[in-house]
This record gives sequence, C-alpha cells and structure tokens, in this order.
Amino acid sequence: MTSAIEVHELYKHFGPVRAVDGLSFEVAAGRVTGFLGPNGSGKTTTLRMLLGLVSVSGGTATFGGRRYVDIEKPIQHVGAVLEATSFHPGRRARDHLKTVAIGAGIPISRVDETLDLVGLSDVARRRVGKFSLGMRQRLQLATALLGDPEILILDEPSNGLDPQGIQWLRTFIRHQASIGHAVLVSSHLLSEMEETVDDVVIVSEGKLVLQTTLAELATRAGTSTGMRISTPELARLTAALDAIPVGWRQVAPDTLVIDGATPEWFGPFAAQHQIVLYELVHERGSLEDVFLSLTHGYDAADPHLMGGTPSGPAPTPGGPS
Amino acid sequence: MIAIVRSEWLKMRTTAVPLVMTLIALVLNALLILVIFLSHDGGGGPGGGSAFVSPGYTVPHTTQQLRNLVGSGFQGYILALLLGVLCITTEFRHKTVTTSFLVTPRRPVFVVGKLLIAAVLGVGLAVIMLLASLLGGGLTLVARGGSFSAMVHQLPAVAPGMILVFALFALLGVGIGSVLTNQVAAIVVSLGWFIILEGILVSLVHGAERWVPTGAATAAANLTRGRGADFGLFNWWQGTLLMLLYGLVFATIGSIILTKRDIT
Repeated sequence: MTSAIEVHELYKHFGPVRAVDGLSFEVAAGRVTGFLGPNGSGKTTTLRMLLGLVSVSGGTATFGGRRYVDIEKPIQHVGAVLEATSFHPGRRARDHLKTVAIGAGIPISRVDETLDLVGLSDVARRRVGKFSLGMRQRLQLATALLGDPEILILDEPSNGLDPQGIQWLRTFIRHQASIGHAVLVSSHLLSEMEETVDDVVIVSEGKLVLQTTLAELATRAGTSTGMRISTPELARLTAALDAIPVGWRQVAPDTLVIDGATPEWFGPFAAQHQIVLYELVHERGSLEDVFLSLTHGYDAADPHLMGGTPSGPAPTPGGPS
Repeated sequence: MIAIVRSEWLKMRTTAVPLVMTLIALVLNALLILVIFLSHDGGGGPGGGSAFVSPGYTVPHTTQQLRNLVGSGFQGYILALLLGVLCITTEFRHKTVTTSFLVTPRRPVFVVGKLLIAAVLGVGLAVIMLLASLLGGGLTLVARGGSFSAMVHQLPAVAPGMILVFALFALLGVGIGSVLTNQVAAIVVSLGWFIILEGILVSLVHGAERWVPTGAATAAANLTRGRGADFGLFNWWQGTLLMLLYGLVFATIGSIILTKRDIT
C-alpha cells in the first residue's frame, strides 16, 4: 500500500507557540483518513503546510515524496477545501471556476461538469456574494474537484452544510475512496466522521495521539462492554451473581451494571435463574468516548499511545467528564 | 505563463473594476478636455491669445496645444497605478489569494502574472483615454472651428509615450500592492505619495525631480516626441528604465515577503 500523503516530523512554530509539534502520519490511497482533534490542535496548520500555504518550521509534508510547490500543475493532483478561503463576491460561480481552470490548464468543459457534480448548475451564473455558506462550501468543493485530483484534502468540509448536504458529502467522499483516491478529511467531531472514514489520525496539541484504523478504534470502544439490567427482583439477581466470579455494581434502586457481560451470556443466565427483567441493555463505550479520552486525557509521556500500537492500554470510556 | 495571464484577465474582467475604472477615466478625460478648452491661452506661442475668434478661450492650434489635447487623458496615469494596486490587493481583500496560491504555489510567479496583466490593463486604459480624447476633444475642436486632421497628426507623437507611461505606472502599482497587500493601505500610500509627498520631496531636495517616479515617467513620455531631456529630467529610455526599476524592485521585495508569508 503506497502512501499518497506523508507527514514526517512536522513542526510549526508561531513565535513561542508550537502549533504543530513533531507530527508524523501517512494517508493511503483508496482510503478515507479522518484527521481528528479538538479545535486548536494544529489540524488546519498541518493541512496548510501540506499545501504550501504555511511555511514549515521543520520536517516534511509531501505527496508521493514531492512537496506541493514542486508538483507540476498541483491542483490536477491535489484538491483542497479549506476554511477561510473565499471568493470575490462580485464574481459569478462559473466565472470563478473558469479563472481557476484557465490558470491551471484544465479544459473549460470541466467547469460545468464539476458544477453539476456539486449541484450548483442552477446558480452557476449567480454572483458568489449572494451565496449561502452551504453553497460556498459546495463551490469550494467544485474548485477542488476541477482538476480531477487523486488526492483530496478537506478541512472541516461539513461546516455550513445542511443534513442533506452532509449526507451527500459522505457519499461523495466514500465514492472518491472507492475509485482509488486518497481523502484526508479533518474534523473536531469523530461522530461526524465515523460513517465515512477508514483510518483515523488523532492529534492533540500539535502531536500525534494515535494513527489507526476505525475498526481498531471501534474495538477499543467495544472492549468496555457491560450489561445494564433493570429488574423487580434485584435481591435474587445479586445473590445469583455473587455465586459466580463476576463484577457488578448497583446504579439505581432497581438497576445494576454487570461488567464485561454479553447478552449471549446473560440471557441464558437470567432464564436459568428465572429472574424477571424489565430492561436489558448492552453497554459499550462509544467511539466519541474513546476519542475524547484520547484527546483530553492525552499524556505525552505514554509511549504506548504515541506509537499507536494496538496493545496500548484501553482508555477509560467516558474519560474525564 | 500565458495561462496565468489569461486567468488574470478573466479575474479582472469578472469584477466591476474595469467598468468602474473606465467610467472614472472617461469622466476625468471629459474634465481635462474641458479645462483645455476653457483655459486662457497663456504660453501657447509668441502670437498670444489675441488672434482667437472667441476672446478668452483657446482653440488649440499650435503643435504643443494639439498634443496636449490628444494627450488630455495623461493625468489618468494615476488610474493606471490604482489598477495595478487593485489587481493584486483585491486577492488579499477577498481572500481569493488562497485559491490563487493553490493554483500557482510559487509566489514570485503569481506576482509576475500580476505584473503582466497590469501592464496589459495599463495599455488598455491608455488606449481608451486616447480614443476618448480623439472623440471628445476632436468633436469639441471641430465645433470650435479647429482642425481634426491636425490633431490626429499629433497622435504618433503622443500615443506611444502615453501608453508606455500607463503601463509603467500599472507595474509600479503591482509592486506597491505586493509589498502592501492591505488594499486600503496600498491605495492611501500610493495616492499620498503621488499627490502630496513627491511634490514636497522635489521642492525640498535639489535635483530630486529626475529621480522620483513622476519625473522618470515624464521623461519616458518623451518616447516619440523627439525631445531630449527637459526640465532637468532624464531622456526617455533612462526614465523608462528608472520607472521599470521602481516597479520591479517593489515587486521583488513583495515576492520575497509573500514567499515567507503564511496564508492562514
């Protein structure tokens, strides 16, 4: 598997502030990589360093070994949707795309194709100053797609999109990966990304916390399984549980949680003891819980987390709340 | 590079700048023509104003007067300067520079693209103002009993120098704009220099007139007038080189600053 994007020991200092602090990760072709971290964790700075918009204080950020500025006709290889990019308000959407297409040597026919692709054909001749945030976001995406690039970089792309727009974006991103393109998409919300991404790169305070697959992250979340049981026969249930080696705790007058239990085990167990149940819930830590604990409870001194090894200690679901 | 210039041309064309600039240029030109026709014949020639049919008003007839009429839009060089300033600072004002740098990541190349389009726009503005002078000035001249053919006869003596000067000022505008990317700051500094500061400098420092941009540009305007240095100015090619130097020095400084600048 070749890496479409390689970030190696990347640093960025703004005066005394270390916005990006020795960050390394890779993005594979044909996969969607979520670039996740809280606001201010250096995501945008990293993406802008990749694109040559922000200078690098140390390390490298390359596409197939080449810096963005060294790529001939770069927007035909790397498409980017960035925050704080804007358009001339007096320029029509189609004209904006034409200026980019002409400048980059892209056939003008692509302009209408991409407008169609992002669903802006009807407003192609409207001035961008009249566009809503969502329409601007779509126009940015159209700009990124003009050169039909094999690498896409999207910085918080769902900002300003309505729920339909977000759903459309997800489908679009998945499609890009399915045709072999590499997609790096940043977000401060894992929940927003978990239906979309294959891999995750989690950063906090400019440092890598973890690079892994979503499946692996889900396993981490899944390890904290338990059963929450509500029953009118609490005393009988606890007596039965105390007879076997299993941990439990009472969380309400008629409710308790059995650590590490599964429905496959507990169902037959309850039937065997003929205990009446009102509620039976399989509890597992959510991905968001894992994400929050990773980014907030991050300890730079923990070598297991730094390496992103699956054998690292399972984080506590819920984290510091 | 041709692609970049074509792109820049489209960028310009799809904003209100060309229209607004053309309108301002035409109004300015009309005023300047008016001034010529309303002015008393001061230093027109040894004959003085006594020969005129309408006492107190000039009907241009001497070579210099006719040249002044053809080149009545000459003051529009300040608009050419502003065109240059606008074509680069607009990118920063509307944050379109992010997209431009993604398309053209080498920032000196971006500045060169702006220099080239600004030169084209400067030439275009000069041509528009020359045509306006021929039309507006010519009609007024004929209406006053002057000779249109005599006026047209002076076109080759005026047009090349004026076109050259407008292009040079547009280049200088890009240079200033590349250093001062804040649009308001760049406009204020440009106008402040050419309207106020330069005059003060020239009056204070002996011999400064040939070195300041306006002096250099005035010299450059003598391209086809067959005159040598006048008013202590350089000759046309020295003036051209000096103006070019000002523009390119600023553009180089601007390119260096831009290359180091983080676009966040």
